[in-house]
Amino acid sequence: MNRVRGLMRGRVRTVLILVAALYLTACGVNNVVIEGSFPTPNINKLPLNVAVYYDPALTEFAYIEYSETGSEEYNIASGQSHIELFSTVLPAMFDGVVVVESIEEAEALGVDAIFAPIIEEFQLALPAKTKLDVYEIWIKYNMRLMKADGDYIADWVLTSYGKTPSESLRSVEAAINAAAIVALRDLASSFSLSFSQVPEVKDWLNTL
Amino acid sequence: MKHFLRINRLGIALLLLVSLASCTTTTIDEFRQGETGIENNESVVILGRRQASDYETRSEFVECVGEGMTRGENSISIVPEQEFIDAMFPWFEPRTAPLRTRDLERLMTEAVVSQKMTEFGVRYIVWLDGFTETTDRSGSISCTIGPGGAGCFGFGSWEDDANFNARVWDVSSLTNVGTISTDATGQSYLPAFIIPIPLIARVEANACSRLATQLKDFVNGS
Repeated sequence: MNRVRGLMRGRVRTVLILVAALYLTACGVNNVVIEGSFPTPNINKLPLNVAVYYDPALTEFAYIEYSETGSEEYNIASGQSHIELFSTVLPAMFDGVVVVESIEEAEALGVDAIFAPIIEEFQLALPAKTKLDVYEIWIKYNMRLMKADGDYIADWVLTSYGKTPSESLRSVEAAINAAAIVALRDLASSFSLSFSQVPEVKDWLNTL
Repeated sequence: MKHFLRINRLGIALLLLVSLASCTTTTIDEFRQGETGIENNESVVILGRRQASDYETRSEFVECVGEGMTRGENSISIVPEQEFIDAMFPWFEPRTAPLRTRDLERLMTEAVVSQKMTEFGVRYIVWLDGFTETTDRSGSISCTIGPGGAGCFGFGSWEDDANFNARVWDVSSLTNVGTISTDATGQSYLPAFIIPIPLIARVEANACSRLATQLKDFVNGS
């Protein structure tokens, strides 16, 4: 009798654990890690040696989209994809590019400039909320360019936008990823084409 | 005999439904602004416009038109859209792509762009712009499941309207040589008697095949 009771208790416990796991899965946040590849820009290189400093705020950047009830719905990690993007774009823009762990390290290398990008704002628009048939991502960046001694050269804002049509067979996560890749390509194109047109950068380039 | 008649009636009803479903009307409008013609070593690239905020030209439609142009008599060599955009990066992105031939003229002064264009052998750039819209949804279908089985009953219908236009730019003369517009409409039906039978009007597929044929003739100069 005791063996039967023990067996029943074990089964009830298993069922409870399964129900709890199901409940947690249904209510949990959906993690989206942005992944994709980026083409190398076909542009003329600037004769500069640039050190790049990726702030942890950029490398570990994640955006959380909340549902209408206030719970966490999507956790979008895009830090690493930004590093991959800059690793493709910057060597096509400058003669020499070196990644540094700190501004002090860059100062010791004696490079022409130090570049430090930061994400200031990230917005996601889902068809379920906007009632539009597209997924949209909008990112605002702060681009900082400093001299080798840490002095300011330029500090400018850049925005990127990506959208992708909603398709019934594609998951929300896949659509968010696709929209983010479009936004990252947009960043790459506008950054690489507008860099030398930023007034402060232009002035500084003329002094070299 | 009775059984045969019943099957015959059902067959006629199905035939009627299928013929109704295949009712797609396609209108093609061509506006030529210059002479065209293409050599064997030259190719065409078809690109979708993606500047609008509320829609974007689907890459599947662009691909479909391209495939249509590579088939049959007087087929044309087509450069795949994504391959071209990646190779030309960052000059043909939604925000940087040329909107007018004047922009293309400026773009061609960039050595890297003109060099890539020569490598691909691109003679014409075709800009596709448009989308397919579903309107006039009506009817309802309800499905039930029980111990005895499951089934759906009802009737639904909707109309699809595919509206696309293709602008053809001549890369050698840097001019707009013409525009071809296509408008295809069709009614789709979804009757459900135990199982739903979708009778879909192939609106976008028809728009694609007609546009591809017209574009092929246009580029060949016929």
